[in-house]
Amino acid sequence: MERSRRYFFRDCGVGLGKAALASLLVGSASHANTTLPPKKPHFAGKAKAVIHLFMAGAPSQLDLFDYKPQLAKLEGKPIPPEVIKGQRYAFIRSDAAVLGPRFKFAKHGKSGTVISEVLPHIAKVVDDICLVRSVTTDQFNHAPAQIFLNTGFSQPGRPSFGSWVLYGLGSEAKDLPAFVVMSTGSGISGGSANWSSGFLPTTYTGTRFRNAGDPILNLTNPPGVDEKLQKDTLDLVGELNRKHLADVGDPEIATRIAQYEMAARLQTSAPELMDLKKETKETLDLYGCDPAKPSFARACLIARRLVERGVRYINIYHEGWDAHSDVAGNSKNNCKTTDQASAALVADLKRRGMLDSTLVVWGGEFGRTPMVESNPTLGRSLGRDHHPQSYSMWLAGGGIKPGMSYGQTDDLGFHVVENKVHVHDLQATILHALGLDHERLTYRHAGRDFRLTDVHGTVVKALLA
Amino acid sequence: MRLALPLLLLVSTNVSAAPPDFAKDVRPILANHCFKCHGPDAAARKAKLRLDTADGAKAALNEVMNRIMSRDDDEVMPPPHVKKPLTEKQIQILNDWIASGAKYEQHWAFIPPTKFKPSAGASPIDAFIRSKLTASGMKPSPPADKATLIRRVSLDLIGLPPTPKEMDDFLKDDSPNAYEKVVDRMLASPHYGERWARKWLDLARYADTNGYEKDRPRTVWPYRDWVIKAINDDMPFDRFTIEQIAGDRLPNATPDQVVATGFHRNTMLNEEGGIDPLEFRYYAVVDRINTTATTWLGLTLGCAQCHTHKFDPIPHNEYFRLLAFLNNTEELEFEVLSRENILKRQGILEQVTALERKVFQSLDQDPAKAKFLAWLKGERDRLQDWKFPRPTKTEAGPTKLKQLDDGSLLALGDPTKEDVYQLTFDDWPVNATAIRLEALTDPSLPTNGPGRAFYEGPKGDFLLSDVRLSVDGVPVPFCDASDNFAGAKSNAKRAFDNNLQSGWAGRGPGQPSHAVFNLAKPTAGKKAKLSLRFERHYSASLGRFRVSVTTAKAQVIAHDLSVDAEEALRVPEQKWTEGQRETIFREYLRLSPDLKAQSEAIEKLRKENPQGPRTLVMSERPKEHPRKTFRHHRGEFLQPAEEVEPGGLSVLHPVPADAKPDRVTFAKWLVSKENPLVARVAVNRAWAAFFGKGIVRTLDDFGYQGDLPTHPELLDWLALEFMENGWSMKKLHKTIVLSETYKQSSKVLPDHLAKDPENKLLTRYPRVRLEAEMIRDSALKASGLLSTRIGGPSVFPPQPPGVQDTAYGGAKWTPSEGEDRYRRGLYTYAKRTAPFAMAATFDGPSGEACTAKREVSNTPLQALALLNDPSMMEAASALGKMIAMEKGTAPEKVDRITRRCLARPATENEVSIFAKFLEGVNGDDAAKWTAVARAIMNLDEFVTKE
Repeated sequence: MERSRRYFFRDCGVGLGKAALASLLVGSASHANTTLPPKKPHFAGKAKAVIHLFMAGAPSQLDLFDYKPQLAKLEGKPIPPEVIKGQRYAFIRSDAAVLGPRFKFAKHGKSGTVISEVLPHIAKVVDDICLVRSVTTDQFNHAPAQIFLNTGFSQPGRPSFGSWVLYGLGSEAKDLPAFVVMSTGSGISGGSANWSSGFLPTTYTGTRFRNAGDPILNLTNPPGVDEKLQKDTLDLVGELNRKHLADVGDPEIATRIAQYEMAARLQTSAPELMDLKKETKETLDLYGCDPAKPSFARACLIARRLVERGVRYINIYHEGWDAHSDVAGNSKNNCKTTDQASAALVADLKRRGMLDSTLVVWGGEFGRTPMVESNPTLGRSLGRDHHPQSYSMWLAGGGIKPGMSYGQTDDLGFHVVENKVHVHDLQATILHALGLDHERLTYRHAGRDFRLTDVHGTVVKALLA
Repeated sequence: MRLALPLLLLVSTNVSAAPPDFAKDVRPILANHCFKCHGPDAAARKAKLRLDTADGAKAALNEVMNRIMSRDDDEVMPPPHVKKPLTEKQIQILNDWIASGAKYEQHWAFIPPTKFKPSAGASPIDAFIRSKLTASGMKPSPPADKATLIRRVSLDLIGLPPTPKEMDDFLKDDSPNAYEKVVDRMLASPHYGERWARKWLDLARYADTNGYEKDRPRTVWPYRDWVIKAINDDMPFDRFTIEQIAGDRLPNATPDQVVATGFHRNTMLNEEGGIDPLEFRYYAVVDRINTTATTWLGLTLGCAQCHTHKFDPIPHNEYFRLLAFLNNTEELEFEVLSRENILKRQGILEQVTALERKVFQSLDQDPAKAKFLAWLKGERDRLQDWKFPRPTKTEAGPTKLKQLDDGSLLALGDPTKEDVYQLTFDDWPVNATAIRLEALTDPSLPTNGPGRAFYEGPKGDFLLSDVRLSVDGVPVPFCDASDNFAGAKSNAKRAFDNNLQSGWAGRGPGQPSHAVFNLAKPTAGKKAKLSLRFERHYSASLGRFRVSVTTAKAQVIAHDLSVDAEEALRVPEQKWTEGQRETIFREYLRLSPDLKAQSEAIEKLRKENPQGPRTLVMSERPKEHPRKTFRHHRGEFLQPAEEVEPGGLSVLHPVPADAKPDRVTFAKWLVSKENPLVARVAVNRAWAAFFGKGIVRTLDDFGYQGDLPTHPELLDWLALEFMENGWSMKKLHKTIVLSETYKQSSKVLPDHLAKDPENKLLTRYPRVRLEAEMIRDSALKASGLLSTRIGGPSVFPPQPPGVQDTAYGGAKWTPSEGEDRYRRGLYTYAKRTAPFAMAATFDGPSGEACTAKREVSNTPLQALALLNDPSMMEAASALGKMIAMEKGTAPEKVDRITRRCLARPATENEVSIFAKFLEGVNGDDAAKWTAVARAIMNLDEFVTKE
């Protein structure tokens, strides 16, 4: 651990000391991210930023992306045991009956991608996205699976995806945190472990942007402190800290001074970011966004603005897809909230020429069963249980091939039969798009070199543009 | 084409003057670049070559060197695909080492500490530090000024800054032992235990919630309070260890010793509906052994969970042998009762008994007597004949069913989500027409049972999803069922409706009940099999139950009277034992409409019974049903391999052969004086608490991959001294803070940055940012708000709204009122999935994993917290108001605030800077002084131990 810390001191500027000291001497430390200066990737990557639309709770791939007419034919009958092969389920019994697709599916775009009728907006951008129908994970419960997708390990304690990316690439955001987390649904199963820096320095932790009030914790001056007093106080603190630096000589004080300057800039830059007045009505309508109200749509638009300001990694959690009952109603409702804005984000990034360097990822922590879940004791009917063997995600931009469908599941949508993409493969591929080699992006902790992909993962070359 | 040309140009074949040091220069290279394939892991070993031992390497070293220097991609070592190429310098070192005879040495940390003699004159600590300074041509810094020193030692020992008076007293005290007096006072302060408990709780991964998705509250704060008390009592570290690992197993264990085992109950508990409880129990036990290794051995044992350790000499199977010591446990709750509550309970019990006696006596006289006798007659008239056959065989998967004296069966072991109890009877009553199943309570079960649910659902819940009977191998169907308590969604009929998701759940946790299942036709044979299946999305099997059978010809219906009372009814009242009489009277009291008022009065009294906190503790599995431990292939829960017995690590001292292989033995093995690691690891952590960094920088890794000690002699001296002083932490701390090394100035000189940038030589005292809790505690203390109350349930200080929004189920954070708003940081409610914002911002741990060393970051979010956080503002404004009301000039007031916040007088320059600042502040006096206090609380000096 210690070796790595030294490395940070020297190469990554966590301790910063001398660099900040130098810039203090020549004037001010502004217009440099004082904590995480940009770093060179392992190789040239197309993506500079990632927006991960995390559909927490796990959407039903069988009702949105992976059309299985065979399920309709078998509806009401049990799935053959040889298909199930002893898989453990969360709620249902393995002899539960098959449930057919709840919606109509149709081909869309030049690519002819088949998707469900409840995704009319995604249907319009299918030629810009890459739909992967063969994602597979190891975990079949929410918290472990979300943490697994984010950290490569099923229990809390390891660095999250965004933390690894900052560790690898640093930040290009001048006045904003480089790893931002938003949440627009209900509470998130995996909690803050999803954006924790784990054993990486805490500087790499995702910063929560809240929907209401201060977007960043403690951003607003406390009651009784006006703009002038805040400025006077910051000037005073700076002056005394500078004096103390001169007396004591510890470079860490220079870092503190620089962080206070950054904090002051955040107090202006974050409200400016959240202020959507300058967005045109056309743009707001594209997303379906009411600028005054927190929503998934507003979060997507803010995500685009964050990318414009150099933010590296953005997580938008939309928790609420856990359809143990009424999978049709659940899917409809969640699509109503997310479909238009997800598609708008892709379209908006594209027309602004940002899609090539921004990777958008859409999906949940696992899939849902081809079998029905019903349980009188729990008051459930026509739902689907957790399904780790196969599910669908889509990616767009940032060096990923557009207009493609990848991977296949069997006729029941149960197992992957072609081009399996394990979560670790997905992680390796996204890192690759960013110019990072998942095997070289390591951090020494507790006696060994850890990676996001643990000891697994292969870059899925077929997904790369 | 093969190129095997040695790189003669790069590597000099001459042996350098001094051969490289194996431990310092050579092993790190081998460990990092070679051991993965040529190390202790036999399974991963390539070419049957191991380079971690002299015997393994000797014959092959020349070939090794050739391969290292090869230019052929197929030949060269390490192979290019592992992406760990050697540098020229590293190759030279290996070459020199081989040329000088390739000497191996045992790793320093596995050799017992040696008593090195410090040079005379200075204190031993200073002697060891100075000899190294002198050798490097450096000098120690001059002593820090007294004000700086008292703030430093106060923050270190009690976690709080000194009051202005404490500072003044110290400045005025010119006696030679003035400083020692301060130190002794602090070591005796009850706040010492709070400060050092917090450090220990980082290792213990303490939190007030279960973690994972639901992250529900748990009660384990009595353990936290135990730690504070043990540290205040200076409990010797060996005792401190034994009680936490195995306190419940000590002879005549006291309640305190049982509470101490909460250390390993701080593991997380997943309550998601879909989980396999045994899988997450396995993760918890893995966490327990890894945490033990980090805390007491400074070893990264976790690597050996999946395979033989790639670097350290720890084989895969030894990991599971060590784990076996901790695996034979039962995880229980333990009610902690204060003396006061014990007395209160006694009082209530006496009142209940008196009330009952009054009722019972009233039954001796008419008209109550007549009514009672009429009730008795009525109950006797409906009596059926019940037999209590005892099963000759029980099978229940991982559960063992233990037969109790009253014929009931008690479930031992781990419940699962699909428990099936198969009971075999050899003397089944002929002509049986109905089966009765009693769900019974037992103190060993969660909230006394009758079920075994311990997570997700109500504790003590059960669901009988399916019941089946076969006699002489032929299934006997049920035709009807009834219960003396049916729930809204569950009743006895649902236990044979062919839907496993429905069933019978009885009366609910804490209460007995029974169900009667009527057979479609009377049974003929004597051999019967009864199968009870319990399925739910959480484990919900019965914990204690009894089976009875009737041959009554008429259909039997479950009746609301306890079976024990029913059995007593069979006896004429003249022959009742005292116990039978009470059973009957109590049931009558419960059921008689005439006695409703009295039974309600008793119920009300019972509800007033004080409940102590039920804290999480460890207990051993019953002898009849020990838990087996297996090696798990690749460390996977689903891949258990061969069974293993408890055992130590072969690289360390042996576990005494004649000792019982249990937790007590394990704990004693950890703190054995033969253990080369434990004292070093403990003193190193203490050193790091005072000096920011350990003598071994990697506090959690003393293995091959860890850093070497900067001052090995000092580390060994401290370790031996620690053990010789009876493992006293207070003596160790005192020795450290009395050293000149500790007392020196923290001023950083240009020469320091040039020659000792990382302060490895301790050319000065290191300036270190305060820990999260200390920052808020300092602000509260400076403003006079701090509560000094010790212990008790965790509290909810104010924090900005919305911090808890992202937690599952949108956890609420309702700020505490009154004193609890201003308690020390270690009492702040620790929610794992949404930690207290200010603590998280300043690198506080989430309680999800054992933390030997906190990160010390310096971020803009910290600046925002200090500037704008409501609790910081509350402190600044309290201090501002206090100062505004005091008499005095503006310069005096600036000085007072400075003293309270920074524990030093204000300089003239500061006074004039603040005077200018004050001119620009609008508002009343309180607003002005609040602004000053707020500014001072934002200075680097405020958050730094100078």
